[in-house]
Amino acid sequence: MPINTDIEAVDDIFQEGKVVDGFVLGKEVHRGGMASLFTATKEGIDVPILLKIPRVGRDQPVESLIGFETELTILRSLKSPYVPQFLGAGNMATRPYIAMERIEGRPLEDFIKEGKVFTIDEVVKIGADLAQAVQSLHSQDAIHLDIKPENILIDDKGKLTLIDFGLSHHARYPDLLAEEMRKGVGSAPYISPEQVTGIRSDSRSDIYSIGVIMYELLTGELPFGNPQTMSGLRRRMWAEPFPPRAIRREIPRWLQEVVLRCLEPRAANRYQSAARLRQVLRDPEGITLTERSDRLEPPSFWQNLKGMFKAAGYEPSPSPRPSMGNYDAPLMIAAIDTRQSDEDLRERMQLTAKNLLLAYPESRLVCLSTISSTPTFEGNQENETASGIVRGHLVQLMEWAKPLKLPPERISYHVLEAMDPASRIVEFAKDNDASLILIGASHKLPNKVTPWRTSMTKIVEEAPCSVHIVRT
Amino acid sequence: MTKAEELGVNRMVFLGDLVGYNADPVAVIERIAALVDAKKAIAILGNHDEAIFKDRSNQMNASANAAIEWTKTQLNESHVEFLKNLPLIVNEEKICFVHASAHNPADWNYITDSMSAWRCVQNSGKSYTFVGHAHEQALFYQSAVGKLIRFAPHPGDEIPVLQHRQWVSVVGSLGQPRDGNPEACFAVFEPESETLTFYREPYDHFSAADKVRRAGLPEDLANRLITGK
Repeated sequence: MPINTDIEAVDDIFQEGKVVDGFVLGKEVHRGGMASLFTATKEGIDVPILLKIPRVGRDQPVESLIGFETELTILRSLKSPYVPQFLGAGNMATRPYIAMERIEGRPLEDFIKEGKVFTIDEVVKIGADLAQAVQSLHSQDAIHLDIKPENILIDDKGKLTLIDFGLSHHARYPDLLAEEMRKGVGSAPYISPEQVTGIRSDSRSDIYSIGVIMYELLTGELPFGNPQTMSGLRRRMWAEPFPPRAIRREIPRWLQEVVLRCLEPRAANRYQSAARLRQVLRDPEGITLTERSDRLEPPSFWQNLKGMFKAAGYEPSPSPRPSMGNYDAPLMIAAIDTRQSDEDLRERMQLTAKNLLLAYPESRLVCLSTISSTPTFEGNQENETASGIVRGHLVQLMEWAKPLKLPPERISYHVLEAMDPASRIVEFAKDNDASLILIGASHKLPNKVTPWRTSMTKIVEEAPCSVHIVRT
Repeated sequence: MTKAEELGVNRMVFLGDLVGYNADPVAVIERIAALVDAKKAIAILGNHDEAIFKDRSNQMNASANAAIEWTKTQLNESHVEFLKNLPLIVNEEKICFVHASAHNPADWNYITDSMSAWRCVQNSGKSYTFVGHAHEQALFYQSAVGKLIRFAPHPGDEIPVLQHRQWVSVVGSLGQPRDGNPEACFAVFEPESETLTFYREPYDHFSAADKVRRAGLPEDLANRLITGK
């Protein structure tokens, strides 16, 4: 392991009464395998402070340091009422610590251990609050990936806070735990099937974990136990959990529907966002009940066998299949006629593009415009030169795409020079493995403009991919 | 540079290929040489700079060669002398600056994947290696398994880059991005706070392209400035 962990004397620096970067250390309130926690005070900070100090040294596993670094990176970037406020950090090489707001409240785990029986309403409220807290992370491009009762603090008023971001993922920062395939990253009972296979970038993993917690609070049992082996962990990829209503009859059918949907092995079959989960928990009227809500019997041998076959496709592969890359992250071309001025069509095309881009979060949009050949001589006016003409078109393309509010990595602009626009667009689509060409067909265009009609027909006939013609 | 000053940058590093693409080689060299003289900047030798005084024509495409030949006609002896004196690699306490890769820097290897990044840090041995050459911004970082993993940075996001880990930053190019976005690429590193931020900054790439055309340089060099490809 080439990472340098030669950090000395951490135990000497962090002791009650000592001062580190203005933080006056109080009592050590917790000493765990990965970190120690101290209370602290600092002038100018009026919230209670907690200092988290990683356990480092030669005898410590290097993961504790990576977890610490991950938490530092992510906690520092988050702003959420459901996450402790970040208050500062020390130099990683000499005196590593994270200072954060100390949250009053007890871990949900404590209530479970005490044997508290949660009412249906309490579970629904915790589920909805959890979904809201998780949504606030997801909306900031972060995924918690270790949602479990230990990491959920609940205060006297029932307000909930998520802690411990040592296993989290943030799309805007390098994932230090990427490709870390040791089994048991995360807590066995709560992690999603995709986490078992090493995927760390699916926000729906957190939705699965919320499902496990709701299941546990409702029934007092874990849907897939607390497996210690890889095959035990993999069981969740195919087995159906024992229906909650078979354990506790008073559970409403809609709630079983919600919990089992969160526990779907395939992320695509779960609620697709935490916001949606919260919404259905707050307003169960709108839930469509499926056979999930009817289940009362444990799954039969045959059902399990069927599930196992389905799960065969779940094999974790060392690298994703390249052919699937295009499916998950399609390239779409919007062929934009910068000359035409049909406002309605423009809006319709923008809306269509927006919806398609929403459907595929990994997709990219290429805004394309064609021009007939540019002059080879230099004009006197800027707008007569080749670059001037191209520039004019690029500006219009950028203007066109502005309302889509896409980050630069999801969009690009091209002005192609072509005598035959249709062939050039088709060629461009081929060269770039595009999945879709989007073109607008205006009703306002006089029918006698035959070259345009021929163009459209040609694209449809020759395109290597789907063609989406947008009409007003 | 204006943007860099706004950001409070107090030292600049030009990672090579000062000439060979653009229509203002004299202005570029003179401006950078002044900064280097004033100890406000360091500059590194790139393969296109080297081609000015060494025959590399068999290793470059036709457009690049045409541009090199044209650039040669523009420069005087002192300009060429400046290029000749550029270091191939600069090693500081924790940082290595090199145009292509710290692994056989004179071979101009591209850092495009995990393996090439790994070779580079094996040779630099530093926490931070900054390179140019490849035109697309990327940050390679050492993961839990020791391997270097590619990360596509989002412009403007401040990334913590703690020094106990090894990082290779491909900062992208000021004038020749290849990702379809014509904006200039650069990155700002703050050693105190151990953070790195990649930037994209719009500039008047149309007039830059115009100048390239007017200079009679190959058309594709000008088009690239506009399309960013």
